[in-house]
Amino acid sequence: MSKKDSDIGQKSDIIQAVIIADSFGNEFLPLSNDVPLMLLHLVNKPLIEYTLEFLSFGGVEEVFLFCCSHVDAIKEYIKNSQNENVIWSQTTKVNIIISESCRSFGDCLRDLDAKGLLRGNFVLCEPGVVSNIKLLPIIKKHIESSAKDKGTAMTLIYQEAGVGQYGRCPREEIVLASNSDNRVLFHKKINYNNERKINFPLEVFLENNCVSIQHNLKDTHIAICSPSVLPLFSDNFDFQTRDDFIKGLLMNEEILGSTVYWHLIKGNQHGGAITNWRMYQALSQELANHWFYPIIPDVKKYSECFGRGAAVGHNCSISESSNISKSIIGNNVTIGRNVTLENAYIMSDVKICNDCIVSNSIVGPKSILRNGCKVTFGSVVGANVELNKESFIENSLVQSKRPEDDYDDVDKLGERAYRLKLVDDDEEEDIVGNKLARRFSRLHLDEDYAKSDDDSLESSDSEDGLSHVHSPVPDDTNMFFSEVIDSLTRGFEDKLQCDNLILEINSSRYAYNVTLKEVNYNVIKAILNLPFQHSSGQQYLPALLRTLEYFSPILKNYIRNNDAMEDCLQAIEDVAASNNELCECIAKVLNWFYDRDHITEEAILLWYDKLDKISRVNARVVPFIKWLQEAEEASSSEESE
Amino acid sequence: MYEKDQMIDIIKLITDIKHGKLSSSYSIAVRAEQSLENLISQGKWNTAQELMNLIKLRLKKIVHLLPQEATTNNIMRHILKIIRDEYDAGFKSKAEGQQTLHHLVTADLDKDATDYSKPLPSLKLALLDHLAEYKVELEASGDNIASQASEHIHSNEVILTVGKSNTVKKFLKFAAKTRKYHVIVVESAPDYQGHAMAASLAKSNIQTIVIPDSAVFAMMSRVNKVIIGTYTVMANGGLRAASGVNSVALAAKHYSVPVMVLVHMYKLSPIHACAYEQDTFNVFASPGDVLPYSSGPVLNKVHIYNPIFDYVPPELVTLFITHQGGNAASYVYRLLSELYHPDDYYL
Repeated sequence: MSKKDSDIGQKSDIIQAVIIADSFGNEFLPLSNDVPLMLLHLVNKPLIEYTLEFLSFGGVEEVFLFCCSHVDAIKEYIKNSQNENVIWSQTTKVNIIISESCRSFGDCLRDLDAKGLLRGNFVLCEPGVVSNIKLLPIIKKHIESSAKDKGTAMTLIYQEAGVGQYGRCPREEIVLASNSDNRVLFHKKINYNNERKINFPLEVFLENNCVSIQHNLKDTHIAICSPSVLPLFSDNFDFQTRDDFIKGLLMNEEILGSTVYWHLIKGNQHGGAITNWRMYQALSQELANHWFYPIIPDVKKYSECFGRGAAVGHNCSISESSNISKSIIGNNVTIGRNVTLENAYIMSDVKICNDCIVSNSIVGPKSILRNGCKVTFGSVVGANVELNKESFIENSLVQSKRPEDDYDDVDKLGERAYRLKLVDDDEEEDIVGNKLARRFSRLHLDEDYAKSDDDSLESSDSEDGLSHVHSPVPDDTNMFFSEVIDSLTRGFEDKLQCDNLILEINSSRYAYNVTLKEVNYNVIKAILNLPFQHSSGQQYLPALLRTLEYFSPILKNYIRNNDAMEDCLQAIEDVAASNNELCECIAKVLNWFYDRDHITEEAILLWYDKLDKISRVNARVVPFIKWLQEAEEASSSEESE
Repeated sequence: MYEKDQMIDIIKLITDIKHGKLSSSYSIAVRAEQSLENLISQGKWNTAQELMNLIKLRLKKIVHLLPQEATTNNIMRHILKIIRDEYDAGFKSKAEGQQTLHHLVTADLDKDATDYSKPLPSLKLALLDHLAEYKVELEASGDNIASQASEHIHSNEVILTVGKSNTVKKFLKFAAKTRKYHVIVVESAPDYQGHAMAASLAKSNIQTIVIPDSAVFAMMSRVNKVIIGTYTVMANGGLRAASGVNSVALAAKHYSVPVMVLVHMYKLSPIHACAYEQDTFNVFASPGDVLPYSSGPVLNKVHIYNPIFDYVPPELVTLFITHQGGNAASYVYRLLSELYHPDDYYL
């Protein structure tokens, strides 16, 4: 009893922290079924280990770990590490709080308020925090600002990050406006739900002389909280997440009388949280690259022998003929011959047999991949999965147990391998933004795919670009081309006015920012491709001539000068090179263009000079050119006579 | 259970080192010595063997958790040697008088086989006495080194140093009492500890110039002596020094400028490690110092190394200055055999 009293006496001095252990989402399926997020291995150590080491490093002396599921596993783990005298256990006391009834982040904080364990300012870590931030100066700053401003409730910690960096999750993009005291005036999360505009309340600018608006920030998911935070959560039971809390405080500033501040960490301090697989990947790489120094992973070999950036755990056996790059491999992993691992995250006790390929994927603990398996495209293989010989897994989640009944069409891959459908866990309505958000929460693909991500974003109003992750790179020109084809097909079928079609094409041109040269080229290419939709082989030529006749005004509009003619001929050549039908009748097509005065004789001859003389196209064109030249000579001789 | 209580001491030490609370190697050395002194005076051991096992257990723990830390290990190894010496001395004094040459030779052979398990009641007191002496030696080491300053620094010389070292600072300040000379401080990016060093020197009225690392070669022609500190001295006399020191030493070699390294005895390590064993030799700090995280997507593609240490081969070092005086790099092996028992080199 007396011990407790002295504890209370000290409580205002020591620094306390709260870790919420559950993310309450399904981001980590299928692994989250078997392993709690906190014990998920991140570069060979459970995540909780990094979080606790960070807090101990930051000077925190008492930690409340709030668990809602997998309680026993976490309890046992913490007990074991305390017995083993792990480094953090000396400076930091860990209390586990269990409440299985909590369903959200907000519920946890309300529960904490009811328990009344926290007295002073405390550090609040959202699930999955990894960091090396020095907390003491920030806490001091928080105390200073609360001395100035009695309503100070929270100091959010952010880090600067560039657009396109892996560690900056597109799902957590924020825009933040603050005044010169670093008080947050405006805070908005952009989830890419088709929002291109942000509205700032006018008061933000009217009431402050100096406002800085930031869009270069990455959330560390760490915040310093005043004691008033917990009662605020209790009073407003609609606060489910930290974002709700911030939004609520900013909206009802007068009523709640609370303010939020923010802090930017600098130099070699680094922070982040694993909120989804994408962040898991980013943080793994950052950890392996020592961004969190002095908190570094326990990998024995971080060596160059397997190509760039492979981190390997203890007791692994890796065949020499395997090819490993940018991957992280856990403890006790066996890797057979001719295995290719690229951007793969292999957890402990995995066995990968000969000739397997794992790329851009995660393989959970104790899984077995038999000979010749292929796991690619952001797949996640859960714990204890056994993949049969030559299984092919692409872009899917695989778990070892048969999924619950509500997953109707179960895809069984083996005794201990069931594929989870990616979309069927939708409870929210399936809006575009949501889909995108889900995709962003999954693993990064390699460079090319990352690029296609960006492009589809720019044109996020078209469904096509979004749903096909693996479709070929939809760069602007390609998008423009398909748009033109659509317009022309519709125009031809519905017999629309060519003038209107020109207007349509021009507007797509501006939408995709395509150069005039590309417009000419793509329009001709589109027209030449059009007949393929209805006819083939022998019927191609008549169909083509019909289309050409019909689109004559369009041709006239676009083929205006010599440059345009050159583009046009180039288009004909390219299409002919890839299609037999057009190649057969290229002379006739050229003749048609010549007859209708779309292309001049000089342009054709000039083009012919540049033409590859051994190509198939060349052979077909020669008679026409000969005829042209003869005609020219004839005409010139006529003239001279 | 008891065993664990004892280890807490060491784990606390490791935590403090890891969290950067003990930054200077001197404070680490004192803490390590203190914790072993506590172990000897309060720990439960009966024979020298038991005590040595306890210490070795701690050593292994430190090697496991802090593979690059050398100071604590060296202190502990030295104390192991002290225990062996005291133990031998304790038994020898009993059997005094029969020492013949023949006896010495045979006894030496026996000694290797000696198990240190015979109880020796006087050992504890003798050890504590010896440790008290050792502690004094530790504490005086810095002053002893500094007192040699006037032998090495002469009037109107230009001295170059790199980054920050408490020993070097003391050394230069001592010389400044009697001589007037210039100091060039290399700022030592990316942690720029040279700035603090220069500020502190300037406070004691020493003419100080700070130069960027890139200007070392250009300035070297004007330098009379390079005086640096180091983290560790390897068994071959090579240095594990702050990154950037190797290029300084090479530049000095080019201009035939002598390089003097100030070392405490506890920095001499019986371990061989050199540049091509970067994993065991070096520590890689956060790349954030070199390229800030806000640099954008380029970070997705590059792998940045920010090494803390540099290996300086022994041939680039002219003189080691310890509290006993100056020694050449080739003499390090001899110092090692005085400091540690060969059985304790590798654990």
